[in-house]
Amino acid sequence: MALLSVENLSAYYRTEIYGISRTVRAVDGVSFELKPNEIYGVAGESSCGKTTLIKVISGNLKPPLKVNSGSVSYHFGIHAVDMLHISQEELRRDLRWKEISYVMQGSMSVLNPVRKIIRTFEDIVDTHEGIPDKKRFFEQVREHVNRLGLPSEVLTSYPHQLSGGMRQRVAIALATVFHPRLIIADEPTTALDVVVQRGVLQMIKDIQAMSNNTVLLVTHDMAVHANVADRVMIMYAGRIAEEAPTEIIFNAPLHPYTQHLIHSLPMIGERSNKVSLRGAPPNLANPPTGCRFHERCPYVMDICRTEVPELVTVQDGHRVACHLVKENPL
Amino acid sequence: MRRFLLRYLIPRFLQFLTIIFVGITVTFIIPRLAPTNPVEAQISMMMARGESLDPQSIASMRAALTDMYGLSGSPLQQYFAFWGRLFRGDVGPSLANFPTPVSEMIGQAMPYTLSLLVTAVIISWIFGNLFGALSSYYPKNKALSLIEVLGQAVRPIPYYIVAIVLLVVFAYFIPIFPFSGAYPVGTHPSWSLAFIWIYIKHSVLPAATLVLVGFGGWFIGMKSLTSNIISEDYVVYAETAGLKKSRILNYYIMRNALLPQLTGLAMSLGTVFSGALIMEVVFGFPGLGMLTMAAVLRNDYSMIMGIAIYSIVGVAVTVFLMDLIYPLFDPRVRYQ
Repeated sequence: MALLSVENLSAYYRTEIYGISRTVRAVDGVSFELKPNEIYGVAGESSCGKTTLIKVISGNLKPPLKVNSGSVSYHFGIHAVDMLHISQEELRRDLRWKEISYVMQGSMSVLNPVRKIIRTFEDIVDTHEGIPDKKRFFEQVREHVNRLGLPSEVLTSYPHQLSGGMRQRVAIALATVFHPRLIIADEPTTALDVVVQRGVLQMIKDIQAMSNNTVLLVTHDMAVHANVADRVMIMYAGRIAEEAPTEIIFNAPLHPYTQHLIHSLPMIGERSNKVSLRGAPPNLANPPTGCRFHERCPYVMDICRTEVPELVTVQDGHRVACHLVKENPL
Repeated sequence: MRRFLLRYLIPRFLQFLTIIFVGITVTFIIPRLAPTNPVEAQISMMMARGESLDPQSIASMRAALTDMYGLSGSPLQQYFAFWGRLFRGDVGPSLANFPTPVSEMIGQAMPYTLSLLVTAVIISWIFGNLFGALSSYYPKNKALSLIEVLGQAVRPIPYYIVAIVLLVVFAYFIPIFPFSGAYPVGTHPSWSLAFIWIYIKHSVLPAATLVLVGFGGWFIGMKSLTSNIISEDYVVYAETAGLKKSRILNYYIMRNALLPQLTGLAMSLGTVFSGALIMEVVFGFPGLGMLTMAAVLRNDYSMIMGIAIYSIVGVAVTVFLMDLIYPLFDPRVRYQ
């Protein structure tokens, strides 16, 4: 059974300033499932709704972000949780960090500059489980941190004494203290150099292999997905463009946008110039009609301008939203 | 520890000494740049009063006054003599209350000013910061908005107006507090409990004035600091992690916002040494402000210099002390 099923989710940012209301359709009609024990990648360029999607499924709804329609439900063993109708207190007490934890975007600066790392661990553990025995707690945290390949000294350090990669790893260690079933990682490798990136990705993979949980990995970096993810979802302008197992996404992409994304990756030994896609992602406050990609698509047809393409399953686990595919099924 | 001493403490101590040195040197130079000669001014004042003096006594008086003002010898000699007297703690006699030493009079006024102003500054600092942080963290709270409006309404009013309003209300219409002074006429200052109680009763209104006027500034400063910190990643993270609001407010928001406010506190504690002149005059409070006022009115310029020197040392000492305790609050300074 799926760990998380998201159905037809739409989440908009609604603002009203001086009587002029504006709606940004950041996530529009998104459906997907997360299975237990997998690494699921979400890719897409900046402002395509990746972070909004995460905010909704992790229950971090704050105005002006509002869910318009759809459902987000979790299945933790025997009990199911409806994320959109759970009370904040229940969410805080039972789910946050224990079942669903979150490695935030910009993890370099998530640590309080005036508190030692161990104090941040203490804050989180104390909030969710309580610390009856300080000495034992310290021992456990040290074990946890060592298991993830971090030296014990980081615990007694202040954030500014650690490097960026180290802080990112500390953020991941913080997210995994309770061995949650779902770890949501938002751009965990952005702003790190490739050597440190590798270390961080390996850490995520190791954690996943150790505790068999699910990792939802969001990044715009396709190379990261190629290395780590089991399945990848490509988002474009708030909608799913394509979803497939990693190998299929990289070897046989069907959506023109995915094709461009994959072809833009440099290959070893290749000496050709890369073609860049004309235009920019659409403004989500006023998205184009029909397929949101039609303005930039090289294969655009008349139907694309008027009708929204459905997300169709072309193969087991491979879903595409494109009129081209619908017309010429495999 | 050795690195801390060498890289942090010693440079700051040198800075402290430099501030005092420069400040006192300027205090020495400025009166000497004035076009009037204080000795001649004093003598002509006596003559103008019609006192008949023979030329010989005028000459001896001139010599005595020149010596008393520290004006004998070349400027360099005067400068060294000036420092020599300072090291013995001697700022010279007050001219208006000859021959009481200036240091003795300042010593009498200092406890009043310090106890009143330090208490008032600290109270307004604590409350301003506390409510500023709370009102930014709970923007919808009605009581906090009310406090904000009141605080901001009082802030631009000159404090002598606030003082007079408080006097009219709490000393005249509802006579619970005394009108003026630090103690009633006929009481002798002592360290007895009874006297301290009288003193506290006399200083409630002046202290309240300073607290009311100072509160708004701290409040608005803290509020703007806090509203920036609330959107910092580490606060958003703590909220996402489900931490209790009280813990976030204490350890994540206030703790970080306090750092710049501590510097502000040091600055206003430094200015305490020159007294709150107008406030002391309005309340007839026998502190440094009152002393300065009297010295200015009576041309007592050794007293003015004495007060200037005390406040220079006072500011330098508070800033230095603040530098010493700042690393306790900000680890980033500690490990520079």
